[in-house]
Amino acid sequence: MSQNYKSVFDIIGPVMIGPSSSHTAGAVAIGRAANSIIGGPPDKAVIRYYESFAQTHKGHGTDYAIVSGLLGFEPDDSRVPQAVDIARGQGIDIRFVEEQGDSPIKHPNTAILEMTKDGRQVTVSGCSIGGGTIEIRRIQADGFDIQPGGLLPFLLVEEPGTGQTCEDEVKPIADKLASLGVLGGCSECCDEERGKTMYAFDLDKPLTAQTVKDFASHSSRISYIS
Amino acid sequence: MFNSVKELVETSERENLPVSEIMIRDEMERYGEEREQVWDRMAKNLDTMDAAVVKGSTDKGVFSQTGLTGGEAALLRDYRKNKVSLSGDVMMEAVQAAIATNEVNASMGVICATPTAGSSGTLPGVLAALKRRLELPREGQIRFLFAAGAFGMVVANNAMIAGATGGCQAEVGSASAMGAAAAVEAAGGDANMSAEAFAIAMSNLLGLVCDPVAGLVELPCVKRNAIGAGNALIAADIALAGGTNKIPADEVIVAMRQVGKNLPASLRETGIGGLAGTPTGEGFRRTIFGK
Repeated sequence: MSQNYKSVFDIIGPVMIGPSSSHTAGAVAIGRAANSIIGGPPDKAVIRYYESFAQTHKGHGTDYAIVSGLLGFEPDDSRVPQAVDIARGQGIDIRFVEEQGDSPIKHPNTAILEMTKDGRQVTVSGCSIGGGTIEIRRIQADGFDIQPGGLLPFLLVEEPGTGQTCEDEVKPIADKLASLGVLGGCSECCDEERGKTMYAFDLDKPLTAQTVKDFASHSSRISYIS
Repeated sequence: MFNSVKELVETSERENLPVSEIMIRDEMERYGEEREQVWDRMAKNLDTMDAAVVKGSTDKGVFSQTGLTGGEAALLRDYRKNKVSLSGDVMMEAVQAAIATNEVNASMGVICATPTAGSSGTLPGVLAALKRRLELPREGQIRFLFAAGAFGMVVANNAMIAGATGGCQAEVGSASAMGAAAAVEAAGGDANMSAEAFAIAMSNLLGLVCDPVAGLVELPCVKRNAIGAGNALIAADIALAGGTNKIPADEVIVAMRQVGKNLPASLRETGIGGLAGTPTGEGFRRTIFGK
């Protein structure tokens, strides 16, 4: 038995624009997660679809859904069906690619988003597991390649590399999460050459807006993905 | 947290609480929220469902961009008014509400996914019948959704609710079983009867494939929700009468998962096999997408 679905509102909900919770609402969620990770709408995005997503993205509105998420829209925003035109109107370069092979993150509803923003490259691999619930299974950014637990919410932390040991730099964050009773697990990717590490803290519960604000003031390279 | 239907029934019997109340308390405890917050959020979901039923049933109804679906909830409304239906008017009201909701979904309108968008008409269909037959007040309608959610959570965590991983049995099948269980509670049955209704409803739809024509959530999705709602009401009635499924709900869920895993990819929301692969289905795909 898994514990992928924790809230009754994962089952009765979300309120969304049709037609598919996994291919539309879930795709909005993948786009929103990518938006949070890169810090706003990207300048360019190549969206690679696998398996069921590759076969049916046109019919299910997956294209406009992912782009809605990249723009930061909610799943029931009335602009969702027009998102691709809206994004292109803003000068965002968007391409969709139907991949033939199996999903690299082993799920039939997979989208891999290769994004560029202000010269920074970030790749987010997400899958939609049903009913609008998603997992982010891999993030490649700033030389890191990290595989979080998958489920949202999680906190992505890139420690600043001030010369302290990794533990000392992120310990206050981990302690704070533990004291709030929300810390589920932690994945890390260490770049020994640069002496820097990226962490993904899996959270059992969503953070309050105030806690997110407190963390954001602590470091600029900390993103809350919810 | 409950991990199985058995645990849900045992908790209900031990604490003398309906399943809906167990779900509400679980949600409050998990997220540290007040009852009012949890309740109001579900009330908003109910409002979304009601609005979709009204939208799909008003005037000529709504139509999808492809024209493959739409307008049949309005046809059913007129048919109910002018003719004597074979299945009885309560059943037809359920059918109309289910179809209206999924027509709204196919036309990119706002719906509440229960548990998915493709299966979003099943619970509103069951609710329409309960409102009419039991004069279920708003409070009871909200409780219905919590009870349905509790059973849905068990399915989602022990099997799957996505057509791409489990076929339509995981979507409309799950929605129908959730609706059957919650309908029993609304009608005054106990948690054990709910579990039986759940098991009967899911057993009836085991093996249902996900074969959307042209990969669109239209054919046959819209009408499958009508069957999901009807099946839920039938299963609930059998359980309320004292009928049992013999195979327990938790084992039916495992069977659903195994069947889902054994379905070929062509029958798991790829728009390749089943009705999607018929000459007419292929023809629709070519007309709509040019390939």
